[in-house]
Amino acid sequence: MTAEAIQNTDATKNGVRHSLRTQLLEDRPVNLDGFVEEWPEVGMVAMDSAFDPEPSVRVENGVIVEMDGVARADFDFIDQFIADKAVDAATTEESMAIPAVEIARMLIDPRVTRKDVIAVTNGLTPAKLLAVAKTLNIVEIMMGIQKMRARRTPANQAHCTSARDNPLQVACEAAEAALRGFSEVETTLGVVRYAPLVALAQQIGSQVNVGGPLTQCALEEATELDLGMRGITGYAETISVYGTEPVFVDGDDTPWSKAFLAGAYASRGIKMRFTSGTGSEVQMGNAQGKSMLYLEIRCILIAKGAGVQGLQNGSISCIGVPGAVPGGLRAVAAENLIASAVDLECASGNDQSFSHSPMRRTARLMPQMMPGTDFVCSGYSAVPNYDNMFAGSNLDSDDFDDFNTIQRDFQIDGGLRHVKESDILAARTRAAKALQAVFRYLDLPPITDAEIDAAVYANGSKDLLPRDVLEDLKGAQQVMDRNVTGLDLVKALEATGFTDMAENVLAVLRQRVSGDLLQTSAIMTPSLVPLSAVNDANDYAGPGTGYRPSGARWEEMKKLRHVTSASNPEIEVE
Amino acid sequence: MTVPTNTVDGQRTLSFSEIGPAERGKRPDEVVIAISPAFGSLFSQTIVDIPHAEVIRQMLAGIEEQEVTARIIRVQHSADLALMSHTAAKLSGSGIGIGILARGTSMIHQRDLPRLSSLELFPQCPLLTLETYRSIGSNAAQYAKGESPEPVPTLNDQMARPRWQAKAALLHLKETELVRKGAKTVEVTPVLSDAAV
Repeated sequence: MTAEAIQNTDATKNGVRHSLRTQLLEDRPVNLDGFVEEWPEVGMVAMDSAFDPEPSVRVENGVIVEMDGVARADFDFIDQFIADKAVDAATTEESMAIPAVEIARMLIDPRVTRKDVIAVTNGLTPAKLLAVAKTLNIVEIMMGIQKMRARRTPANQAHCTSARDNPLQVACEAAEAALRGFSEVETTLGVVRYAPLVALAQQIGSQVNVGGPLTQCALEEATELDLGMRGITGYAETISVYGTEPVFVDGDDTPWSKAFLAGAYASRGIKMRFTSGTGSEVQMGNAQGKSMLYLEIRCILIAKGAGVQGLQNGSISCIGVPGAVPGGLRAVAAENLIASAVDLECASGNDQSFSHSPMRRTARLMPQMMPGTDFVCSGYSAVPNYDNMFAGSNLDSDDFDDFNTIQRDFQIDGGLRHVKESDILAARTRAAKALQAVFRYLDLPPITDAEIDAAVYANGSKDLLPRDVLEDLKGAQQVMDRNVTGLDLVKALEATGFTDMAENVLAVLRQRVSGDLLQTSAIMTPSLVPLSAVNDANDYAGPGTGYRPSGARWEEMKKLRHVTSASNPEIEVE
Repeated sequence: MTVPTNTVDGQRTLSFSEIGPAERGKRPDEVVIAISPAFGSLFSQTIVDIPHAEVIRQMLAGIEEQEVTARIIRVQHSADLALMSHTAAKLSGSGIGIGILARGTSMIHQRDLPRLSSLELFPQCPLLTLETYRSIGSNAAQYAKGESPEPVPTLNDQMARPRWQAKAALLHLKETELVRKGAKTVEVTPVLSDAAV
């Protein structure tokens, strides 16, 4: 074989000889990611587009008659909803008169309080909020998030799903996720008919430890509401809104129909938030030539106008679109900031498979994790990504130790902690036994001890014993037909000897009556008391103020799987 | 218009010649394939560079191996896969149609189903192989014969999003630009030829 032949097999593509370094770089994971050129005319642009409107507002007789260059007669239904429900007509002309760069400075100036900023943002139109965001670089956006986040204490949310929709696995994962510190756990299904059993398993698993997180099951809207009203789930977040009228209409919806759905949840004291994100409109081919961030700001104001307490944003399932254009991740962080800046709870993304590159995955997380958001991930896959039925997250169970280490390195609170294996196994075992008992009590398909043993020690669904899926699906239908509610779970847990768990589930259900979980950014503390922007308002006012990990929490964050003991370097800290 | 494509077999070209307006077929043993505005015209390959010439060849082969005949129509007024596939099904003598977008996303539809429903949907175009396209043809033909085939197995890859989501959006936007409101759906025949290398 000649030297030329060797080159042809290794270093030559399309007749061009490449260097060994080029080959090495070609093989780096980042080059599996997709990147595209901007195309502003159709909206394939993050936040800097000549086609976005200029800010303007005009009020007559207390009604907004012109907004961002569009006269009221020419409003589409999103303009109308925002002008009538989200922008404060009484203060808008005054707020809009402040230069964008001045408002941007208020966002990061520690001497201007969060409340003062909100008094201004209440009167801003979508184009003005965009103009403000465009003056901020990524560090300034992070400074803004640090101050504008609604809840003082950051938190995190988990995905607990199973590729086999195995309820036993989901119960164990929810128990472990609660122990690791997640404040919300969310599931969804491969086979939708499995939903009642899996949602029920998640609710039980989440309440094993001292105090448990809130749970939700992402489903088609009517079923999701049904499970919430029954008390089998505790919050809802998969209520999507969009920034252009055609995309809204494609989903047979309007801002008013979404607001009505929000009202249905509120009527039962159930926490809920909307979902939106940059890139969805251009992905569906209907961006009307507007930038991704401009359209997302319209979504943020729809959420505000509908009166819901919060929003899940940060591109979410369309992250591959802003992730592929220049400045895309700056826009994604900016959408989180604007949600916070208009006084909404922000569950800030980092929840979908984003990049093949570990370096890029971590970088994508930092603008939310470093300043802290209401939920840094929405959510973090508490299972291996192959089990993630939300199509994979930016972080999964393989990353737990890395995440905990980053918290410790920078003294930043992403809501998680290292837990020793014996505690995790104990919690998973108790969740599994409780579910076994509840299934038996409710005459649902049996769970064997062998299944429990496999599930407790498993990493993912590949390690489980298979269940009789047809019997499980019949059981799931039974849960619906017999009208099983959250109170039935309380009774079942109490009757089968899991009294402490029964009390936890009841404590969560009781919140519906008090309505405390309707407050902005509410979570439950380990002692099952609601913690929200009302009793834990963000008081950041510059260096030395606001939330900083300290005391017991900081001690907890110092723990990792392997830390060499200072008193005896031959051993590791327990 | 002739679009040359490179394949492992050598260079094969695909073009479509228009026969006339698409009409409802009378043969109960046919499957109608609806191609999108940019299929084999503006674009010559799927999102993962599989030549349209090979895609069509395999799909037709899958139909023929079930001894069912095939017709191809080009939808010009829409790039909506559900609408295209449903149009194909309604024009098909058997009531079974296939829709395929230039980027490769495909669907098997049946005349009597609601438009937004389908018999089988293949949403993750980067994961579709020539073997999948052959199976799609074969399954459609089996439905046409009144059989109930096992659905075509498909792959799932969570990393398809970071790699392909934005390119898919671009391809969709380009394809949508070719949509001509009010343009009639036409019947076409594929012209596949082995070009001299």
